[in-house]
Amino acid sequence: MATVSFRDVEKSFGSTKVIHGIGFDIADGEFTVLVGPSGCGKSTLLRMLAGLEEISGGTIAIDGHVVNDVESKDRDIAMVFQSYALYPHMTVADNMGFSLKLRKADPMLTKERVAHAAKILNLGPYLGRFPRELSGGQRQRVAMGRAIVRDPKVFLFDEPLSNLDAKLRVAMRAEIKALHQRLKTTTVYVTHDQVEAMTMADRIVVMQDGRIEQIGTPLELYDHPVNLFVAQFIGSPAMNVVTGMLRRGGGQAWVEADGGVRWPLAATVAGNDGQAVAYGVRPSDLGVAADERAVPAEVIVVEPTGAETELLVRVGKSEIVVVVHGRPRAEPGATIPLAVDQAAVHLFDPTNGAALA
Amino acid sequence: MSTLTLKKASTEAKLLLIGIPVAIWTLLPIYHLTLFAISPRGQAVSGKLWPDRPTLDNFAVVFHQEHHYLGHFWLQLWNSVLIAVAAGAITLFVATAAAFAISRLRVKGGRTIMNLALFTYFIPAAFLAVPMYKTMGNYGLLNSQWALILAMVTIATPYAIWVLKQASDKLPIELDEAARIDGATPLQLFRLVYLPLMLPSMVAVGTYALLLAWNEYLYAFLLLSDDRSTTLGVALGSFLAADDSPWELLMATGLLYALPPAAIYYAFKRYMVGGLTAGAVKS
Repeated sequence: MATVSFRDVEKSFGSTKVIHGIGFDIADGEFTVLVGPSGCGKSTLLRMLAGLEEISGGTIAIDGHVVNDVESKDRDIAMVFQSYALYPHMTVADNMGFSLKLRKADPMLTKERVAHAAKILNLGPYLGRFPRELSGGQRQRVAMGRAIVRDPKVFLFDEPLSNLDAKLRVAMRAEIKALHQRLKTTTVYVTHDQVEAMTMADRIVVMQDGRIEQIGTPLELYDHPVNLFVAQFIGSPAMNVVTGMLRRGGGQAWVEADGGVRWPLAATVAGNDGQAVAYGVRPSDLGVAADERAVPAEVIVVEPTGAETELLVRVGKSEIVVVVHGRPRAEPGATIPLAVDQAAVHLFDPTNGAALA
Repeated sequence: MSTLTLKKASTEAKLLLIGIPVAIWTLLPIYHLTLFAISPRGQAVSGKLWPDRPTLDNFAVVFHQEHHYLGHFWLQLWNSVLIAVAAGAITLFVATAAAFAISRLRVKGGRTIMNLALFTYFIPAAFLAVPMYKTMGNYGLLNSQWALILAMVTIATPYAIWVLKQASDKLPIELDEAARIDGATPLQLFRLVYLPLMLPSMVAVGTYALLLAWNEYLYAFLLLSDDRSTTLGVALGSFLAADDSPWELLMATGLLYALPPAAIYYAFKRYMVGGLTAGAVKS
């Protein structure tokens, strides 16, 4: 149980700076997910917290104690690696008890803790096996067991599900979340998969190019992205963005995109007539309208997934993704009217990507 | 179906075509060695494919040291064993520690040192024999078995470091990181994680160094001139000093001398193939 805080943390590899002054706090017991595209620095940040990478600038504190110069083993953390990193010459039980063995703990206590962890993770029957005799999901559980046995202040996960197949990934996702709800240990979890971030996190830290783009709960990020990057990174399928010009007239407001397409806006929206904007709307906030005056769209591809149907349509020169419930009658080549949930529209400054109030 | 069988047959034929000459090439000297060793004196060079009266008498002569060339057979055999085992063990110790430092601890300049050591192989060992002789003389080690042991370690170590470094580069770095987080000191990491995983490569390298020292002639001849301190290999060479060399005794001793390496290779064959790291990380 512990808090974690990052203060102006920087990291350079030689002359290349990869982390540019990151600062945020993680509350006791919180499940925080660091998410971002490859190379955004999320894993580096985690490895700095783990003590596997030197901290070039700033401070990292666990439970109020700055750990910059504390060795990994003395930080009271446990880490689950993407590759599992199980000791191949040790049985499952020895793998899980290794940290206690190094601490010269009482063998009876070690056995007890290993058995307890094995029970939580349903690994009981496999304690005598070697890692090579286990499936991917089982190895992943052993790696988690090794962390649980430690009973650390902070759990660190570095893309732990990336090597599993899609079905197992969903199952393990739920398992990790359930584990956190049970143990309530402060957790920092790195992933590039925004779905993992959305489903598991108490709070998400979205990173890009070594900087934090936004921190918030999953729904905060989804509903109120502060910039275009977050808007398009969070949510699947990604938010549609069209650039155009804000227009006002006759008590109405709209965005005029190229090809003369008029995207409707709530009249109360801020902004001046003639201002350049990026118009963002999530696929699920679009629908097929009954009103013929709605935005006309030409259907390109229809992808039924059962409960929902994903339509790829062309509006003016832009390709737009629409997700509708049910099974609309739409044929490729046909023109359909698009309805927009005006309350759910996001406007961004097209020059710097910042959200407009 | 028939084309497949034909293809298989032709592949097998090609393999046989290569395999049979290689087998003959390898076995012919061993055949001669054996033929001489079991022939009675004087009949060894009779030109027969198999002696009329095969005998084990030659071995009895060797074992009982009943010829002046074989006066110290057991002692020299012991010397060979001692020197080979010591050279193998010391090489292994030095090379494993060096490979761990270079590959896992990433000691600065480690790679440069390894490359410098490998660079010595550009100079044939025979060229270094005289400088080595002089060096050992300076240290007062001439005629001491340490001289040969140290010389063999010097010759075997660069290659051993290189092989072990390559092998340890293949161990996933996450294992070290996991162990560090689990609380292992570098020495614990070395002992509890690194050594067990490196065992197959270490057996291979240890065997290499051991056989190198066992088979060494030139350095042993130069550095150990006393009959009581030299190796059996050198003693075998001295058989040829006389005009009427007892060939059958030479070959019987040679056959005995060739047995330990064969046994060692056979015993450790399975270690030469790795596979111990299976399951460590998802690859």
